[in-house]
Amino acid sequence: MTMVLYHGDPNGPSLTVLAALFETGHDAELRPIDLTMGERHSDTVPRNVEVEMSIEGEGPVLVADGEPMADSVFIACYLNDSATMSPIAPQDPFARWQMMTWCRQIIERVAPAAAYLGVKARLADKLSALDDAVFEKLIAPIKSGDLKARWADIRAGAFDEAKIDDSKAKIKAAVEKVDTQLSDGRDWLLGDFSIADLETYAWLSGMRDIEPAAFESATRTGAWIGRMQARPSVARTLSLAKTTAPHQTWAPGPEINRWG
Amino acid sequence: MSDVTLYHWEPNANSGKPMLALMEKGVEFNSHYVDLLDFDQHKPEYLAINPEGTIPAMTHGDRVLTESTAMMEYVDAAFAGPKLMPDDPKDQWRIRWWMKFMDQWLAPSFSMIGWSVFIGPMVRGKDPDMLKAAIDRIPMPERRVAWRKAIYGTFGEEEMKESQSRVALGIRMLEEELSKREWLASDHYSLADVNGFNIAYALPLSQPDLSNDEKTPHILEWLRKIYERPAAKKTWAMGKTDLAARIKFLERS
Ligand SMILES: N[C@@H](CCC(=O)N[C@@H](CS)C(=O)NCC(=O)O)C(=O)O
Repeated sequence: MTMVLYHGDPNGPSLTVLAALFETGHDAELRPIDLTMGERHSDTVPRNVEVEMSIEGEGPVLVADGEPMADSVFIACYLNDSATMSPIAPQDPFARWQMMTWCRQIIERVAPAAAYLGVKARLADKLSALDDAVFEKLIAPIKSGDLKARWADIRAGAFDEAKIDDSKAKIKAAVEKVDTQLSDGRDWLLGDFSIADLETYAWLSGMRDIEPAAFESATRTGAWIGRMQARPSVARTLSLAKTTAPHQTWAPGPEINRWG
Repeated sequence: MSDVTLYHWEPNANSGKPMLALMEKGVEFNSHYVDLLDFDQHKPEYLAINPEGTIPAMTHGDRVLTESTAMMEYVDAAFAGPKLMPDDPKDQWRIRWWMKFMDQWLAPSFSMIGWSVFIGPMVRGKDPDMLKAAIDRIPMPERRVAWRKAIYGTFGEEEMKESQSRVALGIRMLEEELSKREWLASDHYSLADVNGFNIAYALPLSQPDLSNDEKTPHILEWLRKIYERPAAKKTWAMGKTDLAARIKFLERS
């Protein structure tokens, strides 16, 4: 049975999963949805508790053997582990730990920050222009209370100064970390190309025009972004965009983590 | 002597995860107790191992590992012994999803309650100047805030209410999940159970009105089944405080 992937425009988690799909060579039917208009909660997308309560926020849904799956890094692991050659994740236990730990830090620190700054810059105005009734209808089917509250806050323009500052600091720190990681001249973050490259690129590439200062002196990061875009899987992913600037497509992401 | 050293606190939450995983695998390890209530995790000797100043950390030869959930995956993959991850990649996905849900959604809310009713009162009586210096030494700003709130009892009403309602929902979700399958997230005892147990054993203790034999029979049965395992018994016997001793309520009469 072929898999079905419901995905948004190629940015953030949708980018990770689309590129992972192409890297691993699985056959899947692609069904684009508009994550920025809450289409993931419409009746066309199969849902279960893992989709509804995914703390990634608005990400893609992969349906394999009838089971809807959410959370981009773990979907990417699934695609890797069910492919024959483990193309985007190391099999050595310690290298795998490095990848999972790297991804965890992206998921926990970078994704919430990027989503916060991203939706403020790219989604808030669009939502506030909607009629009340349209917006209410959009969020009515959202089961996760905290995700629903994030939608409402974005529409109301309720962005907290401290969280904005913290998010900017997190983006800056992430770019520094990437640049340091690449300082020995390696092409990919952990040596071999992996899900860590995809997930990091997916959340950071759209920050370049929102937080340009963070990237200014990060020349190695700039070159790595260039290599990412030249990779066939990523180029193919970007070519699926419905908008001219998919890196400017932001939907509500994970909440800002309170314990650091 | 083993080439594995685990830096851990009580068998509880993040510390308990690799402790129980190592025990299940039958891996001998050197136990290095880091006293969280004495702020050992922020002292220079420990920061040399984990600069984030959080527990646990593990060394295996010259490798240093942090992040308890990824660490457990390493333990499972790197050592012989019973597999704690089923072979099916779909099961693995579900297990990782539930571990993330525990780590990043349920545990933070539950531990806010734990820090305010347990950890705060346990350290509050210490010398005020010492406490202030201890807070100033904490590397992560978010943790500095959390410790301050725990010590001075200043968690806000709204955040406590939100944590309470998340814990209530988390309990309902776990009960529902465990009524579908024998184990959490798959049909096999796995890292999801090791992870889940370390948070969930304390749910009936902390929230007796929400989690008990009448309301959440599947959670209670699952906890008892895990606590019956020799590895769990050995792990909780390593506890030094009342926090760990409370686990006895899971003994079948
Ligand atoms: N994501 C880390 C978190 C570790 C963590 O926060 N550990 C807690 C104990 S459960 C801790 O060190 N708390 C003491 C502190 O922050 O000072 C992991 O899973 O290992």
